[in-house]
Amino acid sequence: MGSSLRSFIKDVRGAKTLADERATITKQSAKIRTKLRDDHLPHDKRRLNIQKLLYLYILGEKTHFGQVESINLIASDDFVDKRLGYLAATLLLDGSEDLLTLLTNMLNNDLHHPNKYAVSLALTSLGFLSSPELARDLYPDVENIIKNSKDPFLLKKALQCAAKLIFKDTSLLEIFNIEDITEILCNHSICTHGVLLGVTKILQSILAIGLNREKNDDEGDIDYKNDILSPLSLLLRDFLTRLENLNSKNIEPGYDVQGICDPFLQCEMLYTLKLYFQVGELMDSNSVLDYKDNFCDLLTRIATNTDCTKNSGQAILYETVKTIFSLNLNQPLRVLGVNILAKFLAGKDNNTKYVSLNTLLKVVPQEPTAVQRHRKFISHCLQDSDISIRMRALELSFAILDDSNLVEIINELMKFLAEQDEESKDSVVYTIDHLIDTFDTYVVKDENWKLDVFLNVLKLVGPFINYEKINDILIIINNTAQLSDKSDFLQKLLTISLDGKSAEISDDNIGWQLVLIWCIGEYGGLISSGNTKSNTEVVNESSITDYLLNLQECYTTTNHKIINYILTTSLKLSVKFHDPKNIEKLRQLILHYADSTDLLLQMKSNQYEIFFNQPISTRKIILETMPKFEKITEKQNNVKNISKNLISSGPADLLSDLLNDDSKTDIKPPKSGNVKPLDLLEEIFGEKKNTNDPPKSKENEGSVNLPLPVSADSDVILPPDVPKIHDSTSLNVYASLLSADSGSAHIELFFQAKSPVFDLQIFCAVPRAQKLTMGQLYPSSTIKANQICKQSLKISGSGKMKLRIKLDFHLSGSSSAINEQFDHKFEKTL
Amino acid sequence: MAVQFILCFNKQGVMRLVRWFDVHSSDSQRSQDAIAQIYRLISSRDHKHQSNFVEFSDSTKLIYRRYAGLYFVMGVDLLDDEPIYLCHIHLFVEVLDAFFGNVCELDIVFNFYKAYMIMDEMFIGGEIQEISKDMLLERLSILDRLD
Repeated sequence: MGSSLRSFIKDVRGAKTLADERATITKQSAKIRTKLRDDHLPHDKRRLNIQKLLYLYILGEKTHFGQVESINLIASDDFVDKRLGYLAATLLLDGSEDLLTLLTNMLNNDLHHPNKYAVSLALTSLGFLSSPELARDLYPDVENIIKNSKDPFLLKKALQCAAKLIFKDTSLLEIFNIEDITEILCNHSICTHGVLLGVTKILQSILAIGLNREKNDDEGDIDYKNDILSPLSLLLRDFLTRLENLNSKNIEPGYDVQGICDPFLQCEMLYTLKLYFQVGELMDSNSVLDYKDNFCDLLTRIATNTDCTKNSGQAILYETVKTIFSLNLNQPLRVLGVNILAKFLAGKDNNTKYVSLNTLLKVVPQEPTAVQRHRKFISHCLQDSDISIRMRALELSFAILDDSNLVEIINELMKFLAEQDEESKDSVVYTIDHLIDTFDTYVVKDENWKLDVFLNVLKLVGPFINYEKINDILIIINNTAQLSDKSDFLQKLLTISLDGKSAEISDDNIGWQLVLIWCIGEYGGLISSGNTKSNTEVVNESSITDYLLNLQECYTTTNHKIINYILTTSLKLSVKFHDPKNIEKLRQLILHYADSTDLLLQMKSNQYEIFFNQPISTRKIILETMPKFEKITEKQNNVKNISKNLISSGPADLLSDLLNDDSKTDIKPPKSGNVKPLDLLEEIFGEKKNTNDPPKSKENEGSVNLPLPVSADSDVILPPDVPKIHDSTSLNVYASLLSADSGSAHIELFFQAKSPVFDLQIFCAVPRAQKLTMGQLYPSSTIKANQICKQSLKISGSGKMKLRIKLDFHLSGSSSAINEQFDHKFEKTL
Repeated sequence: MAVQFILCFNKQGVMRLVRWFDVHSSDSQRSQDAIAQIYRLISSRDHKHQSNFVEFSDSTKLIYRRYAGLYFVMGVDLLDDEPIYLCHIHLFVEVLDAFFGNVCELDIVFNFYKAYMIMDEMFIGGEIQEISKDMLLERLSILDRLD
């Protein structure tokens, strides 16, 4: 085409700076716009301008003004114009109905055009633009080509178009005639691979409709099982044979891809067959299911015979595996499938590893032991340089974890954690979350090992662990049965922190410090009493005290959480340490915060000072060892009953009352007030105490920083029978009138997102005689798909209750805001 | 199973070919935003050590491959089979190469309409329609001569 287009492109490319380029583009764009508006523009100039416009389209410029002009080009008798017109239409049109109607007529004409290339253009464009309206209007023309054309070139396109149209307008199934397809399949001269692809597409369309139909329970007028599926199943035998022939190496040179015969067609056929059996099973159709054994045999052959070293072979094998698992075929096949995926994993190609891990993740529930057998390869992927592969290997490691491989997998994960840096924070957080869950779920006999794991975790990735998870770790430490394990653990922590090698622990390792401080408070007595194999030169009362003082100075302005922990620990140590000098230092430490500007620290400091002045016997009771803590995962009604028996469990009782309804995690209060928790500490100190004193557990509650249950992102649930007042492509809105007394009403609006919605803003207006008060949007202005958020409204005044609501929000993948506005009238009048 | 879009751009992020197959949802501003995001995502990935697949949104993943200075990207459904789309891309590039004769970026820049013609002979409405390179090239040379 013309040299003028060349020079145009050169001009745009030749611009030296961005501003230059912008100027050239704006100038040219304005020029094209004026030219196209000119009705007397010569024909060739018109064409040229559309070409330039298309180039601007590729560069991302605004081009809507050329839409009508491109449709006009289609009407031209000149093939070159027609071709450009169709190209422009498929690129520039944005689905506006008016233009599509305009186009329908032209497509209709061109589908009967004597020039087969014009027909081909029309078909290609129809494939793009298939809307339900076009489907109804143009299907007969497409069907005409399928029935009568003997040209594979047109036939393959017509079949693809028909597939699109039928999918767009399912009522076309009534007219669709399966015999057309049978005839095509029987006619060897026209049945090329391209045509076969078209056939698979049309079958996929019809079968997908079957799958959806059953789900939606929308029967319509067609008896799908008998009128559609039964005749369709007559093709199955032919299909199975064709696929087998394709796969069994009878190479046709034109279709060879890396030694595999037409992987494209093989994949499409596999996918089609999968749909066949899915629909067959759904509708319990014997005409389909009778072939299931043949299909399984064929899959076995494909799985064993296909070369898995090349991308094309892998594509087929991957489709085979997906088919096996989505139909949940027999066990030997499933194991074969897992083995294929494992072979992918063992290779060097990251693409196949990625695909394999993704699929293994999905099939673990169906075939856990088979997947476990390939643990070595999975662990190997933890070391991969691609983060998306590492992340999936990580997920998979936890997915296959059970009693039998717990220790090995966790050791692998420790190796993995050791290699992580700042950038892979997400995978670290993920690992810790799941590690904690794992230890909550599985009983580990060797608790010493378990604590070592956490020691390592803290050492390696302590800075990344958030406070909530630190609390979970503390609970696990606290719940360890053997006191000696706990004191060993503290011993190890202290040795690392105190003996000068503390370079291993960086200043920002808050997680490490918090755990250490808490453990000193709880188990410091065991160390100082010399009851362990401690290295007393490094770890002793004075060094611990100094360490706390140091820490306190270090974090005094930067981290109040740590200071909080230090204060509580200092108080606890006051009954565990023996040397009055150290105890006095600790008291001074606490006193230091008596006038802190941080209110919480100030309060703590003053309260602890009061405790400090109590006689030691009272303090010992107050600072009793923590009882065993239990996380309750399910709502347990007996929690309340137990806690009611406890004089001292006031706070916990209130909490469980509060949280029982909407929280998944809960804290169980100490089992009972008169059952004494392990009292080893006191045995060591040789002082027996009456343990039934009421204040004891109360102070336990108050003085120790244990996690409060955090209510798990309490989801808003849509109450039943709330009328829908608005329905758009992104949101459903429901309104519930809670109360409407004279003069005031309380309304709750619920927003249910169909796809993730961000930054939702709600604006409401009421009639003049009324006043509106809006509450906060709950839980947040970001709503995940299918989740709900709630907005409460209070209206006061008089008159009819009408609302005008305007919504502003973003959808994912787009920065431009979407506006929606609607009105709603309530039946009540204020 | 259908391609949602095909993009071709160079290392600087200048688009060379843009084809959205779902015309009805295309909105020029949104597609421009998506293109910018896709470029950022793909150009930041390690060419040698990362896979050629990356999840892009709730409904789309990207299959891409770099040939010299040009990226070829396909957007497909999340549930679709990734490896076969790599074959799609490769076949497309092979045909471009054979058609132009040792294709380079400038061939596509100046003859973008021919590149679209090739794309449209290979894909119809986002579905692959012809797989034989010989057949495609034969057909394309006829179409090319119709000028």
